[in-house]
Amino acid sequence: MPALKFNLPGTLTILAVVGLWEFAVRSGAVAFDYLPPPSAVFVAWGGLLLSGEMLMQTVHTLRAVLIGWVLASAIGIGLGLLLGFSAWARRYLLASLELLRPLPAVAFLPLALLLFNFSLTTELVLIVYASIWPVLINTMGGVMSVGTQLYDVGRTLRLSRARTLIKVILPAAAPAIVVGCRLSLGLTLVMAIIAEMLANPHGLGYAVVSELQAMQPQRMFAYVFFIGLLAIALNGALIGASRWFLRDHAVSSHE
Amino acid sequence: MAGETTAAHDHVFECRGLGLELAHHGARRRIVDDITLDVRRGEFLTIVGASGTGKTSLLRLLGGLVPASHGTVSFLGKPVASPPEGVVVVFQDYSHALLQWRTVAANVRLGLEGVIGRAECDERVRQALAMVGLERCADDHPWQLSGGMQQRVQIARALALRPAVMLMDEPFGALDAMTKAALQDELLRVHAQTGTSFVFITHDIEEAVYLGDRVVVLGGPPGRIHKFLPIELPRPRDQIHTRQMPEFLRLRLDIHAAVLEAGRDQHDARA
Repeated sequence: MPALKFNLPGTLTILAVVGLWEFAVRSGAVAFDYLPPPSAVFVAWGGLLLSGEMLMQTVHTLRAVLIGWVLASAIGIGLGLLLGFSAWARRYLLASLELLRPLPAVAFLPLALLLFNFSLTTELVLIVYASIWPVLINTMGGVMSVGTQLYDVGRTLRLSRARTLIKVILPAAAPAIVVGCRLSLGLTLVMAIIAEMLANPHGLGYAVVSELQAMQPQRMFAYVFFIGLLAIALNGALIGASRWFLRDHAVSSHE
Repeated sequence: MAGETTAAHDHVFECRGLGLELAHHGARRRIVDDITLDVRRGEFLTIVGASGTGKTSLLRLLGGLVPASHGTVSFLGKPVASPPEGVVVVFQDYSHALLQWRTVAANVRLGLEGVIGRAECDERVRQALAMVGLERCADDHPWQLSGGMQQRVQIARALALRPAVMLMDEPFGALDAMTKAALQDELLRVHAQTGTSFVFITHDIEEAVYLGDRVVVLGGPPGRIHKFLPIELPRPRDQIHTRQMPEFLRLRLDIHAAVLEAGRDQHDARA
């Protein structure tokens, strides 16, 4: 695996933008009441880290994200496999799913609040409901797109149906399933933040809103940027994990 | 004209009036019609025909991958309802017939896993790979290999099962001429060493003559047997010498004429 190369041009651009922002605010050229300079954001960030507050909120959000993602993946894969293999199931279930899928999960937030109050359950319900879809669709698609030739191979080699499924079909569908899980992780974080902003007073989303209400823009910015960093880190970790999981599949080696 | 008669216990496959109909856009279309054919033990039977003559369907019928609509097909005396033990199909599209995520050795093992013990399994895999000259590629993945080598892996996978019959659907169709020639000779060597029967589909007339003990010419659609031609060329065959023999050229001409005749008959039948 190639060593991580330091992206000099990209980093210079980011530093330039930050520098410009600092200059614009300090010189008074850009003056919004609640737009702090990057230096203030950085200081606030340091303070939040040192006091352990940011860590506490991060732990909550991460927990919700991971639990939600695992649940969404498990349910999504299970349903996706069922629909992928069973024409009967598709005939009866697909129409209902097609009605539910386009509805924005956030629209269900009031319903979840009524049912489960301001709690982790509400947050998880929202996360899971939104994140199931990429996993389900990609799993179903992956299974259905496995060529008939592979089934013929299983039959001519006289493999049992179970063996054919486990040794031939599922590994063939694995890349699509992994893509579905990767897509759903991004959604999971978004939904967690939204749920924390509106329905569960814990975690990074809640922290952003509460700093806003406390009129602490530099701390709010610090949280927002940190959420962005968290998204990048989670995505990077997931890419690494998918590469390892699909290490024998030709596709992954060409990424 | 039915094939030459031989004693029944010498046959691995017997087809009587075999036919296949498939539903196509609502209408039922006959793909293969009235095939009466015996495949003798140990013979190398090649099947030639233009596109649309049902060659692949005939192979799938023999391989138990599709049930017959009419007539009978039996393997070692028993009717074929599903893929019979002792018969393996090798497909033309090797890259989609192999498991690209498994190593070459793991691919060759696929039909043996759970059926025989690990030690015997490894030994058979080793022998199969040696027979096609791929011992050194055992730990590579198929996508790292050339087309010819991937097809060899598929052949090794079939050989590991020690089948009585190998059914091959234009296996060298996607390969370049030199690789094709090398694989043809390898296949002939396997045939000589193991005594396995082969049913080999090709649209390449020269290949059919070079490899076969007998050639079946199909016409159609629907696929019907037009002619049988015995190949009395000496074995072992040689790419240079055999292909220049007058007998080879005569057979090539005869088969070419038969294929054209079959096409003409079809045309006349429709006129």
